Amino acid sequence: MRLKTNSAIRRWIMAMLFLTAAMLFVTACGSNGEDFKSGEGKLKVTTTIGMIADVVNNIGGEHVEAIGLMGPGVDPHLYKASQGDIRKLDEADVIFYNGLHLEGKMAEMLEKVGKTKTTVAVSSQLGETELRSDPSGAGVHDPHIWFNVRNWISAAEVIRDTLVEKDPANAENYKKNAADYLAKLEELDHYAKEQIASIPDASRVLVTAHDAFGYFGDAYGIKVMGLQGMSTASEYGTKDVSNLRNYLVDNKIKAVFVESSVPKKSIEAVIEGAKQMGHDVAIGGELFSDAMGKSGTVEGTYIGMVRHNVDTIVHALK
Amino acid sequence: MTDFWVLLTGALVASCCAILGCFLVLRRMSMIGDAISHSVLPGIVIAFMMSGSRDSFIMLLGASVLGLITVFLIQLFQQSGVQADASIGVVFTALFAIGVVLVSLNLKNVDIDLDCVLYGEIAHVHWNTWEMSGMDMGPKAVWMLGITLLIIIGVISLFYKQFKLCAFDPALAAAIGIPVALFHYLLMGLVSMATVSSFESVGAILVVGMLIIPASAAYLLTDRLGAMIFISVAIGIASTGIGYGVSIVLDASIAGCMVCAAAVLFILAFLLSPSHGLVARKLRRRTLSGNTAV
Repeated sequence: MRLKTNSAIRRWIMAMLFLTAAMLFVTACGSNGEDFKSGEGKLKVTTTIGMIADVVNNIGGEHVEAIGLMGPGVDPHLYKASQGDIRKLDEADVIFYNGLHLEGKMAEMLEKVGKTKTTVAVSSQLGETELRSDPSGAGVHDPHIWFNVRNWISAAEVIRDTLVEKDPANAENYKKNAADYLAKLEELDHYAKEQIASIPDASRVLVTAHDAFGYFGDAYGIKVMGLQGMSTASEYGTKDVSNLRNYLVDNKIKAVFVESSVPKKSIEAVIEGAKQMGHDVAIGGELFSDAMGKSGTVEGTYIGMVRHNVDTIVHALK
Repeated sequence: MTDFWVLLTGALVASCCAILGCFLVLRRMSMIGDAISHSVLPGIVIAFMMSGSRDSFIMLLGASVLGLITVFLIQLFQQSGVQADASIGVVFTALFAIGVVLVSLNLKNVDIDLDCVLYGEIAHVHWNTWEMSGMDMGPKAVWMLGITLLIIIGVISLFYKQFKLCAFDPALAAAIGIPVALFHYLLMGLVSMATVSSFESVGAILVVGMLIIPASAAYLLTDRLGAMIFISVAIGIASTGIGYGVSIVLDASIAGCMVCAAAVLFILAFLLSPSHGLVARKLRRRTLSGNTAV
């Protein structure tokens, strides 16, 4: 009897310790989010994806405080709002989002917010010819526009014009910063074209897990093949795997790529398959697709991210 | 004001789900919420293929139709002798699989899945307002869920005795001439309506959690159905309040925190319930063994 009570007490203590540890863990994980530091006189801007926040910071400079709701490495399709995001949207003077249904249902909400606040889709100035549309559904476009630097130049212009209109006092500043930044983007565009063109024609094929690099392929002349459709609900079939494997073997493709925000398991199946047919495929490296790298690093900026992708692809395929 | 709308939406979802959850727990069918959350996929895919738009109203329509089909099939199989849990499992996996096949056949390059076209987010309800002839009528979700709650309360209170008997003793109910099948279908219809409209407003996890957890906790605390429903609703509303407070402190997902709060309340009920609780049972056993020792 005595023994039994002791063990029961011990079990209780263990359970309590476990609960406390779990609580500590949760508290430690939470409250890491950024917040507006209530900077006086600064224009407060909230954006959905980090790439837009980066452009806003570059153009706005010291007069603007920009926060991205979706942090580094977060797939926009899987973004979950936290309580603090309400405040970030509520307190913002301007809200930028990508549009073209990248944000899913959230875009409907943002359009409604647009009646009382300045809410701008950075893709709004892109015409039908610049957008990739799906043959099956009319009016449905590929939302991953930032892979073509030219599109992102248009997005930067939208951001510049909005900031100028919203904060005329600092208009000159914004225009100057924007001119500098746009020049950098032009340079980046040339760099990407040049580098990708240096890969021999036959091996200029970009194989990734999911279909995000369509714009990149169109703009820089590289064939893009993905295993999975654009939606996370569309699962790849066995035929997709074997088709892709056969293509790799037949065309002697050297490398395939994994993405920062998509698990690499699917692409590994293809590599394994090719190996069994006597063709070694390497993993060429990790590309940033739907989200940038950690903030503070080079890959945590739009320009750094594109450069990283281009360099990784060229290095692996050349 | 934002806080008020979030809490009101949460409380409405919790009430709808907690009332219906009691009957589902008694009928051992509480996983039906999870089932519906998956089986509506072919509904939104077909709705998109027919309309070519991802407008939320059309998606809601497609999801509602599939929600009704789901509960109808589950009830049909169950009445034909398939185990309740098995019939839920069969129907929702099969329907979800149809949805996956449809997406992979036709819509490879369209971003369409439940998370991005159907499930709402409770943090956003306050901006998603409903406008009628230029007038701002407040959040759409509050209207939709409020009407759903009124319908649920109306139907349940009108046929309370029948529902009660069908849940506890369908054989007796049939013997005294109550159309048991009809009431089962009616209850399932309410469940489908409540879950689909809640998914559209606040997302899946909150609905599935609120359908099961408060009712299960209330089941531990009382043996009377009437009391169980009220306790269940109280636990549901309390967990939305506590959960929202926690989500402010942690800056975390609101729906996630609300369900966690409900789970904590369930554990408390499990440990401390006067009749079925772990502590009460331990104490009773100790006094019993103490008595026999003497």
